[in-house]
Amino acid sequence: MVDSKHQWKAWLYLSPAIVLLLIFTVWPIFNTIRMSLLEGYTTMREVAGASFNFGIGNFTRVLEYPKFLTCLKNTVLLCVLTVPISTFLALLIAVALNSIKPLQRLLQTVFFMPYVTNSIAIGMVFAAMFNMILGGSARPDSVGIVNNVLEFFGIPYVNWMNAGSEYWANIVVMVVYIVWNALPFKILILLGGLQSVNKQYYEAARVDSTPRWRVFTKITIPLLSPMLAYVIITGFIGGFKEYSSIVGVFGDSMGPVGNDDALNTMVGFIYRAIGNQEGTASAAALILFGIIFVVTMINLYVSKKKTHY
Amino acid sequence: MSEFKTMKAKDLQKTTAQQRVIKVLVQILTYTFLSVMALIIIFPFYWMIISSLKEMPEYRQSVPTLIPRVFDFMNYLEVFTNDDLLLGQLFLNTVYVGVVSTALSLVITVLSAFAFARLEFKGKNALFGALLATMMIPGELFTITNYQTVHSFGWIETYTVLIIPFLVSVFYIYLLRQNFLQIPNELYLAAKVDGTSDLKYLWKVMIPLALPTIISITILKMMGSWNSYMWPRLVANDDAHRLITNGLRTAFTNAEGVTDVPVQMAAVTVVSFPLFLVFIFLRKYIMKGVSRSGIKG
Amino acid sequence: MKKIISLLLVAILVIGMMSSLAGCNKGGSQTAPDIEDNPEALASFDTTKPVTITFYHQMGAALQNILNTAIEDFNKVYPNITVVHKTYGDYDGVRDQIKTEISVGDQPNLAYCYPDHVALYNVAGAVQSLDALIGNTATITRPYFQSEIDKMMLDNDSAPEGEKLTEAELQAKIDAGVTEPLGFTAGQIADFIPAYYNEGMAYGDGKMYTLPISKSTEVLYYNKTFFDKHGLKVPTTWDELEAVCRQIKQIDSTCIPLGYDSESNWFITMCEQYGSEYTSVDGENFRFDNETNRNFIKRFQGWYAEKLVTTEKLSGGYTSALFTGENDAGTRCYMCIGSTGGATYQQPTQTNGVFEFEVGINSIPQVNPAAPKVISQGPSICIFKDADPQEVMASWLFAKFLTTDVTFQASVSMNNGYAPVIQSVTENPVYADFLAGYSTSNIQAYAVKVALEQADAYYVSPAFNGSSVARDQVGLLMQKCMALETSDLDGAIKKAFEDAIAECKYQAGQ
Repeated sequence: MVDSKHQWKAWLYLSPAIVLLLIFTVWPIFNTIRMSLLEGYTTMREVAGASFNFGIGNFTRVLEYPKFLTCLKNTVLLCVLTVPISTFLALLIAVALNSIKPLQRLLQTVFFMPYVTNSIAIGMVFAAMFNMILGGSARPDSVGIVNNVLEFFGIPYVNWMNAGSEYWANIVVMVVYIVWNALPFKILILLGGLQSVNKQYYEAARVDSTPRWRVFTKITIPLLSPMLAYVIITGFIGGFKEYSSIVGVFGDSMGPVGNDDALNTMVGFIYRAIGNQEGTASAAALILFGIIFVVTMINLYVSKKKTHY
Repeated sequence: MSEFKTMKAKDLQKTTAQQRVIKVLVQILTYTFLSVMALIIIFPFYWMIISSLKEMPEYRQSVPTLIPRVFDFMNYLEVFTNDDLLLGQLFLNTVYVGVVSTALSLVITVLSAFAFARLEFKGKNALFGALLATMMIPGELFTITNYQTVHSFGWIETYTVLIIPFLVSVFYIYLLRQNFLQIPNELYLAAKVDGTSDLKYLWKVMIPLALPTIISITILKMMGSWNSYMWPRLVANDDAHRLITNGLRTAFTNAEGVTDVPVQMAAVTVVSFPLFLVFIFLRKYIMKGVSRSGIKG
Repeated sequence: MKKIISLLLVAILVIGMMSSLAGCNKGGSQTAPDIEDNPEALASFDTTKPVTITFYHQMGAALQNILNTAIEDFNKVYPNITVVHKTYGDYDGVRDQIKTEISVGDQPNLAYCYPDHVALYNVAGAVQSLDALIGNTATITRPYFQSEIDKMMLDNDSAPEGEKLTEAELQAKIDAGVTEPLGFTAGQIADFIPAYYNEGMAYGDGKMYTLPISKSTEVLYYNKTFFDKHGLKVPTTWDELEAVCRQIKQIDSTCIPLGYDSESNWFITMCEQYGSEYTSVDGENFRFDNETNRNFIKRFQGWYAEKLVTTEKLSGGYTSALFTGENDAGTRCYMCIGSTGGATYQQPTQTNGVFEFEVGINSIPQVNPAAPKVISQGPSICIFKDADPQEVMASWLFAKFLTTDVTFQASVSMNNGYAPVIQSVTENPVYADFLAGYSTSNIQAYAVKVALEQADAYYVSPAFNGSSVARDQVGLLMQKCMALETSDLDGAIKKAFEDAIAECKYQAGQ
């Protein structure tokens, strides 16, 4: 079925994207690879005219970092926890928003609000929710909104993110924050995807008086599967690059007070190295690339089997 | 279905009553769930609004208040009376960059997504895989190289440098390709038989069907321009090209280096308002759906 | 799928090798010439040839207004120099921007900087050393700056009757302008607060790279009303501080007597006060793992455990908020050690225009009050090498103006609680009035006054590429140790120090 006329057209349609990607994405990637293979490379030293040995020294340096495994563990853990939770919640919300009649417009508008909210505001809210002031003392000045809610139900308050807090509590805070941040985007995509699902299927289901749950699993999910696959695959790719949310909650120390770097991630490591050790940062970026590549391949393999186009 | 046919009439009545109860219960659950999630989702927006109405000392309190003690509308007045801010200029710069880059980006995204979703060509899968792969490398390392590139093009402090480099997003191409794939291939084959050209088919069938996603991409891209900060500051930090987020970051910083966040939030709210109206307008199209377009599956 | 992966790997390897080899020949050409090798350029400055210089800083809107006024004053004397200035929000923003621009050889002419930034730029050899510019004896004749005219008029007013110039004579003198060296005069150098000036030479190569702009320090804010009421003595040593804290605990058992804003400052200052090692520019950079340092940390850990002291990070909120009592019925601090740059935040809450209590400000406690040591922080200015010597000369004249102009120095200080870097500012009547009006309501003046009185106590930390890593790490180390709850305290502290040293070395690329 492949004729040469089509080939030519396809490349024509793709040409603007390819040209721009070659200049602004592929070329920087080549440069990243170059920097990663020059041992001890830094931009400032290169400007000064230093020469570097060609080798894998930067890669071994990344692997030798005492906290490398911590960074890797946090990256994987946060990704594996947040992507399914946020996708599932977003799916429920999107389907629910799509199915209701009264108040639909109002609620839809509400779920659009994050797009007109400045990111500074999000960080501030979070401090109000989880931060404790003088939590270590017998009489804290403030325990945060979440703890207030817990107290209301008679549950003793938890040190979520301050000095002396435990790892699991920190992870809970991060999962909540990341899911919260990811929801608006995923809702938007899935809601858009739902509109492309032909309503005739639903009408057929209604005639058959098929139970709601079966409509959901047998009609909605399969027809939405391309979008779900998209949300999950890009969710994993983005999730492995988690960094700014942790800075948003814990600051540059990437962990609670007294336990800095406890929540550091791969990109957190890269960020720190970028200032002064671009070679090491590049090597770490490529290692992370390798991990994401393998995970995405698995994702694509699974989604190919499950997706209905 | 055969079980239903054998049911007695009495049972059938019971079932419908039961179904009705379940239906009401599901409705209640749905609304409760949506309301709770809505509250959580809207909280930052609420925080932005109340922060813009607080007085500075109240805002600085380490134990934050949920409702401002005094509603200080002076913050908004200050935004409009601040002569140094050049709010109008910042706004126009951002609108210009936002609209142009969104429009161009949409054209590129639609064409690429169409090629990947409907056309057959050699190396399609490999190319698509390579595109996906570019998303997997943390982009933080690209900054210096891209700076060097645009510097060698002589693009520093131009609109070009704010628009061109990030016009292509694999993220959006992938999204739209997925959406195009949702549209049954039979439509395309039918159109081919009718002798409809690719572009006409794209324009008449694909785009209307994928409109909700295209609008979503529009919103995301616009927001990207509105919030972009690092790159614009790096390459075009002059009065003629400065974008809103950069302008607002230091505009309300006092001599001690402390930012008057309430006034800053008031400014953010003011500049977000037109955006809000546009989104409310676009929301309609996202929710319109396909049923009215009368295309048969 | 296998084919794709293997193709990709091969492609990566080939490209990597190719570009690596190509990369070896790059660089070297982008370093601009050093004006010290160009005596001809140093010999004069052409005041007729238009020149544009760029200046990067972190200033917010308020400080930019002061800067714009200063540039207007500067342009009255040097109309041919156009100063384009841009803010990058914070000091890290300035550093990242300049680092990126250095990579294409297109850096600005001047920038506000911290010592570790200069050390970073200097890896690329981009910073102009100032020794030749400072010692430049070639002269220039120029009109007087406005601040100089103001001073001449004031001096004339207060001159003894016989020596007074008439208005016409004075005007003639002003119109004649001044002939002065392009560099600094001995008087100008002597006018700088010595420790501030010496910071420009902290790079271990004997050269001077920066001039100080404005400096903050740490001071002890205390609740004077409370201290007077209970007859407490303001502590001048750490032993006295501990005793006072215990006394305060007796009076208010739920309070935490002392809040300390910055753990990093605390650690580095203690090293200076004890004379123990912190960092060094040569040999082993990171030397803070020693017995003295472990001991003082252990002592402070005890204080924290006893709730005698807390810090911003450990408490989870601003220590100034504990001090000013803005959290109604919250825990109180009666002393707070914080920056003079944030003085207004130590101002207590007001009801109907009356402050809840009076604030007193003192120098921070010392190990040895006879040889006091306090930190100084704040921006300096550096000049970058440039192919055009006219730009370097113009930049030097602008830097010289900002550091020595009384009006600019005074207005910055009066607005942000930073101390001016030259001593003659205090002779300016407006500034003298500002200082004399120190009080709880004019707390910035109070803080600056204390900062100026302890001018002999400032120290300079070594500056090298990675010195800010050490600063961050000792702060984190202090937090970690103070929050320790373990039976083997010594072991845990020892381990924390070793980890911090290892982290420093790794992050500095060693």
